[in-house]
Formats: sequence, C-alpha cells, structure tokens
Amino acid sequence: MGNCCSDEAGGRSAVGGTSASHANPNSGPNDAVERFLLYRGYQGCFSQIELSFSASSLRDRDVFSKSDPMVVIYTKGRDEPLIELGRTEVILNSVDPTWITKHTLTYHFEVVQYLVFRVYDIDTQFHNVDVKTLKLDEQQFLGEATCALSQIMIKQDRSLTIDLMHREESTRETRPRHCGKITVRAEESVSSKTTVEMILSCIDLEYKDLFSRSDPFLVISKVVDRDITIPICKTEVLKNELKPQWKPIYLSIQQAGSKDQQLVIECFNFNSNGKHDLIGKVETSLADLEKLQFSKQGEQLYLPTAVGHHHENKVLKSRLFVDKFSESVQHTFLDYLAGGFELNFMVAIDFTASNGNPRLPDSLHYIDPSGRPNAYQRAIIEVGEVVQFYDTDKRFPAWGFGARPIDGPVSHCFYLNGSSHYYEVEGIQGIMTAYAGALRNVSLAGPTLFGPVISYAASIASQSLADGGRKYYVLLIITDGVVTDLQETRDAIVKASDLPLSILIVGVGGADFKEMEILDADKGGRLESSSGRVASRDIVQFVPFRDVQSGEISVVQALLAELPSQFLTYMRTRDIKPNV
Amino acid sequence: MSNFNFSSRAVEITVLSGESLQIDRRPIKKNTFVVVRSIGGNDFCSTEIDTNGGSNPKWNQKLVLELPVQAAALTVEVYCKIMTGIRLVGTATVPISDFSGGYLPDNYLHFLSYRLRDEESERNGIINLSVKTKFAAAEVPEYRSCVASSSSSTASVVGVPTSKKYSSGIVTGFPVFGPLLDHNNGII
Repeated sequence: MGNCCSDEAGGRSAVGGTSASHANPNSGPNDAVERFLLYRGYQGCFSQIELSFSASSLRDRDVFSKSDPMVVIYTKGRDEPLIELGRTEVILNSVDPTWITKHTLTYHFEVVQYLVFRVYDIDTQFHNVDVKTLKLDEQQFLGEATCALSQIMIKQDRSLTIDLMHREESTRETRPRHCGKITVRAEESVSSKTTVEMILSCIDLEYKDLFSRSDPFLVISKVVDRDITIPICKTEVLKNELKPQWKPIYLSIQQAGSKDQQLVIECFNFNSNGKHDLIGKVETSLADLEKLQFSKQGEQLYLPTAVGHHHENKVLKSRLFVDKFSESVQHTFLDYLAGGFELNFMVAIDFTASNGNPRLPDSLHYIDPSGRPNAYQRAIIEVGEVVQFYDTDKRFPAWGFGARPIDGPVSHCFYLNGSSHYYEVEGIQGIMTAYAGALRNVSLAGPTLFGPVISYAASIASQSLADGGRKYYVLLIITDGVVTDLQETRDAIVKASDLPLSILIVGVGGADFKEMEILDADKGGRLESSSGRVASRDIVQFVPFRDVQSGEISVVQALLAELPSQFLTYMRTRDIKPNV
Repeated sequence: MSNFNFSSRAVEITVLSGESLQIDRRPIKKNTFVVVRSIGGNDFCSTEIDTNGGSNPKWNQKLVLELPVQAAALTVEVYCKIMTGIRLVGTATVPISDFSGGYLPDNYLHFLSYRLRDEESERNGIINLSVKTKFAAAEVPEYRSCVASSSSSTASVVGVPTSKKYSSGIVTGFPVFGPLLDHNNGII
C-alpha cells in the first residue's frame, strides 16, 4: 500500500520512506484489521492521504540570500523515537515556500498518528546532492511543528497551519522565537473512493473435466513485479458452464493500484481438491476492460505452455467479455468528517461492589498515589485520546452505574460529576476528575445493569437527530463483571441499532466475560430482543482489557477499528451524504 | 407525533431482504414473497416473487400501506410458492412504536429487522425492512394499491391473499388461497 505512488517520478525520493511507516510496531495489528475490513468490503476506513506543505515567514539564515528550505516528515508513536517518513525537495531562496513533493501515508482511524515536521535550510554546497542522502545535522534547523493526522482530517478545508518552534531555543528562552508557520494540507486520494463495478463473462471455454463441462471461476490479480501477482478479487464458481456470466465484481481503484495498473485475469476450472486447473488467462488493466466493454469485443484467452525451455502462449478460442463497467464514487469516512459530521464520545463507568473497596490496593478502582492509572483510567485515556479529536466541543457526557450516591438509593445511571442537572464534563481530564470525585462520593453496590445507561445514550442520540444534528455517538462502557440484565441490555441495544450510536464495552479485571461476547455480533448470531426484533446492524464491540496488559498490541485499536465501518453502514444505508 | 388530525396515515415500507429462510428445516430454494398488512386495518400489500435469492432473497421493494391511527402493529408475512401451492414461511409483528413516537424526527428512515416465526411459533429466518412514515394525508389515496417499484425481472405477480381471519387483534389465521390450500392441508 505504501508504494502506491512510487510511479510518480518526481515524488520518488521523498516517498521512498513510506515503507518506514510500516516498519513501526503498530503495523502488525493494523494490517490484520485492514485485511479483515477489505474482506468485508469496507475500503473506506484506511484511506491513502496525500500531504502537501507550504510555509510562511521562515527565518532567514543565509547571509547573502534567503533560506533554501526543505521539510522532513516524521511519525512518532507514544514514547517512541521519531521515524522519518520522507523529505520534500529543496526550494531555493524562499521564506514563503510551497513544496511540490507530496507525501503519501495511510490514515488509520484507531490510532492517533502524530506527525512531526522539521524544516531545514539546505546549504548551497549540498544543492546537487539527492535530498535523501543529506545529513540533517549538517543543515541549519529552521523549526519544528507537531500535530496529529486526525487534527488535519477534521478541518473543513483539510489544512492545518501550525507555528514552527525552535527546539534548543525554546528550552533556554521562555518566549518562543518567531520561526514562521507551516501549513499542511491533506488530500484523500480519489482512488480511495472510486469503486468499479464489472460484470464479466466468457464464451467457448474449453472442457477440462472428463465427464462434464468445466466449473469456471475468475481470479483477478495485479502484477506487481514481472512474475509476482497479488490476487485482489475472485468470482463465484459457476457449475457446468462453458458460457459463464459471473455476478458483479466490485473493485476499488485503490485495490487495483490505478486504472492503468497491469492486471491478470485467470479463468480456472474448480476442483474440489483445491488444485484448480487454469483454463486460460488475459493480461489487461481496468482501463482496457473499460474499452472492452465499450467496444463490446471479446478478448481472447491464452494459455502459457512449456515448449522445451521456452514458454509459449497458446491463444485460445475462448474469449472474455465485459458486459458492464461502471465507476462510482463512494463517500468515505473522511468525507463525512470534512462535511461536518462529528463523533460524540460518552462514558459509563461500573461502580458495582465487585470492583472491591476503592481504598484498598487490590480494588480495580484503586487510585494509586504514585499516579499510575488503574484499568478504568487507562481505558478512558486510551479510547478518549483517539475519539476526542473528532468531537469539536470536547464536552463528554459521563455516567456511573451500580452505586449508591450520597443519601440515595442505588442508581444505574448517575452523573459522574455529582451534579443533578448536567452530565457533561470538559475533556478527557474532566472525565478523570469526575471519576476520582465520584469514587469518593458514592458507595459501591450492585447489580450490574447496562440497560439504563444504553437507553440514556440512545435518547441523547435520537434527541440530536430530532434537532437535525450531524453527530454519531460512541458510548464507552467500562465494566468489571457480567451483566445482570442481559435481556434488558439486549433489548436496549437492538433498539439503539436504528440510531447513530456505537457501543464499545471494555471488560476490566478477571471475571468471565463470556456473556459479553454474545452482545458483540461478530462473535455470535445477530442480537435478538425479547419481542422478536433483531438488531439491524452490529453496534457493539467488546474487548477484555486484560489481553492488553499481557500483549503488546493495544486493545483499544481493536476496539476502535470497526467504528468507521459502523459509522459508514449507518450513513450509507440511509443515503446520508456528507455535502462536501 | 403530530398525526392527530388524520384518521389514518401512510407508511412506506421497503421490504429489503430475508435471511436463512427455511421450510421443513431446509433452506428455501426460490419463489418467496412478502405480504405486509396492518392489524385492525384492511390494507395490505405484497411484493413480487424473488426467484434467484434462494433462502436469502432480496426484494428491495417499496410498499405503501395505510395504517389506521389506532393500529398498534403491522404484520409481515413471508410466503413461498411451491409446486403444490403457497406456504407460509413465517410471520413477524412490527409494533408501530418501533418506527414512531419518541424523540426521532417524523421522517426518519428506520432500518428494522425481525425474527420470523412459523405457525408453530418456531424460529425461522430474519426479515429486513426499512420504514418511513408519510404524513401528507392527501397523498394517501394515490397509494391505495401497492406500488411496485422493484426492477426485479420477475414477471409473475402472485394473487394476494383475499381473506383474513383476525380475532381480537391477534393473528390466529392465515390467508386462504382457494384451491391451492387443499394440497397443503397437513401443513396449514
């Protein structure tokens, strides 16, 4: 994926570094998730983003002329060193440069992708050197800026202007030196959005089976190197058919690479033992297939045959036809963000007695004086950190359940901040403060009921719809135990499946969470309410938090990975357009 | 809701698809159709027959149904046309409250799915619908008859069940299909 634009000669040197982003430890789980989503037909969540750069009022470091600036792009994980992604070209004699070199990277919703941009003044003596080989410590440092990729993506015009800072001087001086500004523009490549629908058929296929006609199917692969092909799409097997027409194939241009990318379409005869025999193949591209459809001509299949040491292509009588070829542009998750849609984050925290006395260190709610966050705090921080970028007012509804507030009966949905009028708190820090406050003010009780919290969240989501809001709600429930009101919870979730709402459940502690898995439709059948209504889509994601503590992979990524597709399912089925 | 002025209202029901439909515990091969009717009203509508979806048929057909204001629910019945006649695959009851009332805007497009149950109340497949309430009273007569906006290639439209037996608002009987029924006595 990272090599998508390597054919762009001008950008080659700068883009060469994209593979570095895949070398970071996050790429493992993301690739798996990506394949999973591709398999399910969602391509919109992992968009290719093209960054372009300009700057203004850069510092003038050269004595006789203006600076000759270049941008170096880095990515930065949490507590990890910077990894260089790429470099732009050097612009001569300019303090307000606009660089031509673009940098392509993959946008992942479920991680906060921090980017660091450093601007250097390249000395004249290096001007004939390839930018990739320049030693940066020999160059004059003009300033650095940091942002998260999601901060750019949520901007209406997808561009963000940040002040450049000077590292060394900022430590010595309290007043930051004026180093100019850098503007980063992000564009989603159109190929991410375009999907091609094709209907393919063949005539005069040869007999391969001894006693019956062939059972043909097609595999479309892209040719990456002379002999290396990567399959990207497969049709169904049609039984006993010498003139097959397969069901429509959907292929995003991103999957193919580009419209001119060389493709191989192979026609196989299905064998139940898995050794399918090749009936014939065609080398083509999406652009050629489009022409083929236009001309209504068939393309002849050929079969490579070995003659001595040579391979010869035997041209067959069989022909491939394109009966339909149409392109459509589907709105992506990022289009909706740019179109003003927001994700609104809500939190509900389990205060049942099974968590243990919060004053004792073995309690799940124990607040360590050393500042080390407990499992609840970590879940809030990790999920909140990603989602907060998509919420403009950063005011989050926060509830608790399963506890007795001062002088009251057990409540299954109380405001975390202790107020009786408003349930919103300011920012992630506000949730943390309200959480610590609630621990002091309520006494833990039980049972564990999700129904009231989910219904409350659902009523907020429907209220916002009634007010014409362009919001999608994300409810995070953190719990230590098995839910008592499974049927009520199910009923509430089934009802909420018709609303712009997704529910993330994080299980902390060592309880048996088997019943939670039932709520997550990925792992079982579809959720059914007591009245016979069935959830119209999957809105629940459940993850036990203990898996994270042992492994390297952040559980939060797994939890959040499905959010964009749940969001898109909601928007697309209702034909809601982002109006960009 | 603001529909107090009307004695009835029209709802636009798009019968989207069915999932894992069975007869006698075997997946259905083809020829399924859906009848939607209001409990307590006289109006009903039917989709065309799906011929190539097997046990996961896709009808994608918009039906407009007139609902009396006092109606509390509508029923969705899935039938299958077989050699010997027409068999009921399963029924689902859709409470009106699932798509009206509450905070949601009146014209909200609801996506609703229901578990089907056959005449022995055994679980069968799932039916997927989308429902939107239409409020303009003047439009109602226009939609009295079924609007078949499906582009499905099926030519045959099945005779819609002609009589219904209801007692006290609960569905107890099933549409009578005339002579076709005789072959099916053991089942219906």
